[in-house]
Amino acid sequence: MEIGFLRVLFDPGRFFESRMRDEPSLKVPALIALVIGVIGAVSAALAANMFVGILPAEAQAIGVLMVGFAAVVAVVGGFLTWFIYGIVFYIISMAFKGEGSLARTLEVTGYGFLPQIFGGIIGALLSYQIIANLTLPIARSPEEIAAVTENLAHVIATDPLAQIAGVVTILFLAWSANIWVFGMKHARNLSTRNAALTVGIPVGLYIIYLLIALAGWL
Amino acid sequence: MRPLYFVIISLVCALAAFTGPASAGPADITVTSSSIDPPILMKGDTGTLTIAIQNNGAEPVAIRSARLFGSGVVPLSDSYPAVGELGTKNTKTFTFTVRADGGEGTFYPVFVLDFVNAGSLRYPIPVQVENTPLSISVIKKPDAFSEGRTADVTIRVGNPRPNAASGVQVIPQGTGLKAIPSSAFIGALAPDASGTAVFNLTPAAETTAAFQVVWRNGINTHTADLILPITFDEDKRQADPVITNVEVRQEAKGYRIVGDVMNAGLESARSVIISPGEPATPTDPYRIYIVGTLDPDDASPFEVTLQADADVTEIPIVIEYRDADGNRYTATTMVDVGGTTMALSGGEDGELPLAGIVVVVLLALGIVGAIYYSWRRK
Repeated sequence: MEIGFLRVLFDPGRFFESRMRDEPSLKVPALIALVIGVIGAVSAALAANMFVGILPAEAQAIGVLMVGFAAVVAVVGGFLTWFIYGIVFYIISMAFKGEGSLARTLEVTGYGFLPQIFGGIIGALLSYQIIANLTLPIARSPEEIAAVTENLAHVIATDPLAQIAGVVTILFLAWSANIWVFGMKHARNLSTRNAALTVGIPVGLYIIYLLIALAGWL
Repeated sequence: MRPLYFVIISLVCALAAFTGPASAGPADITVTSSSIDPPILMKGDTGTLTIAIQNNGAEPVAIRSARLFGSGVVPLSDSYPAVGELGTKNTKTFTFTVRADGGEGTFYPVFVLDFVNAGSLRYPIPVQVENTPLSISVIKKPDAFSEGRTADVTIRVGNPRPNAASGVQVIPQGTGLKAIPSSAFIGALAPDASGTAVFNLTPAAETTAAFQVVWRNGINTHTADLILPITFDEDKRQADPVITNVEVRQEAKGYRIVGDVMNAGLESARSVIISPGEPATPTDPYRIYIVGTLDPDDASPFEVTLQADADVTEIPIVIEYRDADGNRYTATTMVDVGGTTMALSGGEDGELPLAGIVVVVLLALGIVGAIYYSWRRK
């Protein structure tokens, strides 16, 4: 398998410069989105499996379905996130008179997700650690399930490991944003400044949102 | 005159000359007064009976002896075996120690004077005996006693006797009971008078308090007791801290329980401290919450943090407080955490783990390095 695309991590400028000579290809970006989705599915399955433990024995069958559903949603979510980022970058770059196809934008956006694979792995490990530290009771009624779920969300949000996971997410997002700046510069023929704005505005807003959530102001 | 008459007259005169002047009889001696100390005896009491006599005749009276006898009130002292002559208009007193051996009532021991020239004087002396003791009553005490809590008890001592009581004092007694003062002196109590004594009683356990009243009737010491059972019960006025508005919050390392504590009693609760009890384990930052003084109808918020196992559905919240005397009390309120229990294990506290911080720093350095490198190779 060609792994030359890993060069995008440390030398995105030259990598995208060389990619521009070929026709847009979404194979590798799709593969990256799939891996991210699978990693996300593992985290989602872990969380769902933990939630299944809350349910009484007679509801365990539903729990298995929930695990599967969460995994599928996570995989789909990987692709969905890719498309959303790509479309947002494409639209914003239009304000800077960007030139280039949506497919090219999606291609560079997909490559930019590569750091998220490492972030996802670390995030999954932290999620596992958080979940492993939890001992959940059996909920016997819908009201108890709701109460436990509410508490669970609060517990995970206040767990120090969750805060570390949040910081890790921001770090890898910054790395991706750096790759996207180079990617959008070539994909939409933007100046470095406009490419930075195209990427920086949505990513910056998202990072602010994450910081606010981490601070517990939400 | 015939010689025979002269001889007879001479003999009579000679006889008169040898016999001396004519002596006065019992009719000239009177008992002028009698008194007894104490004025009213109790059964078994010893008293001093004093009798005064006076010679109202024109001639001295020779008295051989003076004595006292009777039943019910009997003399303890000896009689006067040789009294001697009592001159005209002179008085003389006789003192006898007597003891009341009979029951209640008025007794009449007889005072007897024996004269030299035959004859005697018998004079009954009235002596009253009454056994009525001093009365003792509790006129003030708390609604309920509590272990280790000091309570005021007021004792009233009354004198229903017809004579005064002297040296009256009240002595509280009882095991497991601390009384201040250890005794109270009231002093003399006139007939129908009363005196009070206040004691601070601190019982260590349920017991019986005996208030002994000690007094003197003359030289005789008497006692009377009042029994006061000390049983513990809930004081209707005592502080009553109540926990309300409880909210259980789940946190990463356990629970945070917040709520209000209110004093529903009529007395202040001092040094109020709130903490989680077993089986919960208090954790930082609020292992305990110090409220301080809670006046009646006052309320204060509180907050405690704790950990508990997953199978714990109820956690006791312990309120510790003191009364004005420093006695410590506790009240426990069970807080239901069942159904939302989600205990965590493995975490030490809510702080960021050092290893995590190191990893984040290393990652940050690596990513910053990657970004820096990418811009250098642009």
